[in-house]
Amino acid sequence: MVSFKEVKEGLFSYEEPDKGWVAIFTKPQELLKAAEKVRDAGIKRFDCFTPMPIHGLDKAMGLKRSWVPFVTLVTGLGMALLEFLYILYIDVINWPIVYGGKPHFSFPAYIPILFEVTVFMGGVCTAAAVIVLGRLGKINRKPIHPRVTSDTFALWIGDELSRQEVEKILSPISCEIKPLE
Amino acid sequence: MVQENALRIGKPFAQIDGDILRPLESFPTKTWWIAFLISASALAVFVGVLIYSFFKGLGIFGINNPVGWGFYIINFVFWVGIGHAGTLISAILYLFRQKWRTSINRASEAMTIFAVMTAAVFPLIHVGRPWFVYWIFPYPNERGPVWVNFRSPLLWDVFAISTYFIISLVFWYMGLVPDFATMRDRLDGFQAKTKIGQILLDIRRFVLRVISLGWVGSAKTWHHYEKMALILSALATPLVLSVHTIVSFDFATSLIPGWHATIFPPYFVAGAIYSGFAMVLTLMIIMRQAFKMEAYITIKHLENMGLVILVTGMMVSFAYTMEFIMAAYSGSHNEQYVFLNRLKGPYAWAFWIMFFCNVISPHFMWFKKLRTNIKVLFVISIVVNVGMWFERFVIVVTSLHRDYLPSSWDMYIPTIYDYAMLIGSFGLFFTMFLLFVRAFPSIAIAEVKADEAGYEMAKH
Repeated sequence: MVSFKEVKEGLFSYEEPDKGWVAIFTKPQELLKAAEKVRDAGIKRFDCFTPMPIHGLDKAMGLKRSWVPFVTLVTGLGMALLEFLYILYIDVINWPIVYGGKPHFSFPAYIPILFEVTVFMGGVCTAAAVIVLGRLGKINRKPIHPRVTSDTFALWIGDELSRQEVEKILSPISCEIKPLE
Repeated sequence: MVQENALRIGKPFAQIDGDILRPLESFPTKTWWIAFLISASALAVFVGVLIYSFFKGLGIFGINNPVGWGFYIINFVFWVGIGHAGTLISAILYLFRQKWRTSINRASEAMTIFAVMTAAVFPLIHVGRPWFVYWIFPYPNERGPVWVNFRSPLLWDVFAISTYFIISLVFWYMGLVPDFATMRDRLDGFQAKTKIGQILLDIRRFVLRVISLGWVGSAKTWHHYEKMALILSALATPLVLSVHTIVSFDFATSLIPGWHATIFPPYFVAGAIYSGFAMVLTLMIIMRQAFKMEAYITIKHLENMGLVILVTGMMVSFAYTMEFIMAAYSGSHNEQYVFLNRLKGPYAWAFWIMFFCNVISPHFMWFKKLRTNIKVLFVISIVVNVGMWFERFVIVVTSLHRDYLPSSWDMYIPTIYDYAMLIGSFGLFFTMFLLFVRAFPSIAIAEVKADEAGYEMAKH
């Protein structure tokens, strides 16, 4: 049985980095290796910061599957159903009128509209889901390193570990470790 | 693999930021100002005619009794068609993992949005009373209620175009968020020299902070974000095909000879991609010369677009041929007459312009020497768009001006206001595009860097 806490963690995976350690890398493959090591060490409170999406980083960090596709499915189909009921109400109940000799309930003619509203609602809600689930929208947030949106790769680990422990986990990979206050 | 290596830029990440953001962080060049003045003047003409038509009514335009769909619908279909390439590049080529889309997707998505905005103006005026245009939406109202007709392709069009516009906008904006964050963090190193400069810099910082949504590049956010890019592509792929299909239904579901054809949906979609790619090619050639982006938009990119033009051009040619075969085979007197009239009637010149521009010109792309020659590509891209405009002219005007009853036959003569609206629509489009290249990163920085990181990691 999945507990509520686990679902919530899966939904809102992002956590603002607070006290801890920041390792700075210059190459994506180094960060990828480091993330694997941290995951294998069983550390839960850590995050990576990259200027671009890195292929395979979610697996290397052991991230849970994103809930975004589920949001798309539910909102898209939900909107299609609502729109269908709305058209049904308009064409059959509220104001039944014969256009071009077609029946009041002409389902084939509704398909294009139902398709468009599915895409519309699904697409808009997918983007909204990324903003909510990825915890965007906090405009005063400062990046963990000033160049992390340009050419620097950073890994943050919570302060339950000491500097020596962090260095030990990341040992063969060349990186610069700094404390984060 | 060979192809992928050919697309590799091979520059440090920070330099990629600098190269792409240079036009945004420096004063516009003289060429930009000249282009902007020309298109802004055309836009002024557009707005002027628009306002004049609100006072005088639709009578100032050339539409008459048999030809009720004149330049408006021609321009509408033309601009919506151009809008198709952007989503094709950003969604369909994304699903097919075509890496060459990366450096052109941002600008072509912008092109899509501006083309759809330009297109949307035309049906809005064409309804006759633009101040009641919100009646096209089925909302509960106090006029009866008077509902829209859900069986009409014109209503499907309302849904298709508005969905297409909003989804393209969402796709584009979400793609821009990481790049806005890059721009925001670059500003940390900037110092203003004067007091006004400082105020402007603070405004810029604030705006970028808001529109970058507090993006800090967390892998946990990227994880959701990448999923979204895939889903939006998967949604936009059928959407882009549906939009021009539904536009073609406006014609195909009517009973006018020349319009009433089942080939219209695929024919229109192929034509849309054809004209859209031609417009992308025109814009990319100008952009790469003006902003010195040869390292990002290479000959390889232009060549690939030339090949898409060749393929879709042949699809369009096939549709033209098929239409004639179907008409000859139909046994319908009116249908056969309409197609003969296209070949030899009073508007035959429009048909033959269309034929030479759309059927003959793409075949130059068979030759590698020609499709890697920028001048040839530029000329062909413009020729194709001229041809595609005339295609819509042929479809709309020649089918309408000879109806079933010879007593109601008439000619369609566009007035000076029609031409002003046509030229003005280019003004609207190019003004928006020129402002875009100054205000937004015209190449998707994060995506280019993601490809570069991919090459880097594949090496090890």
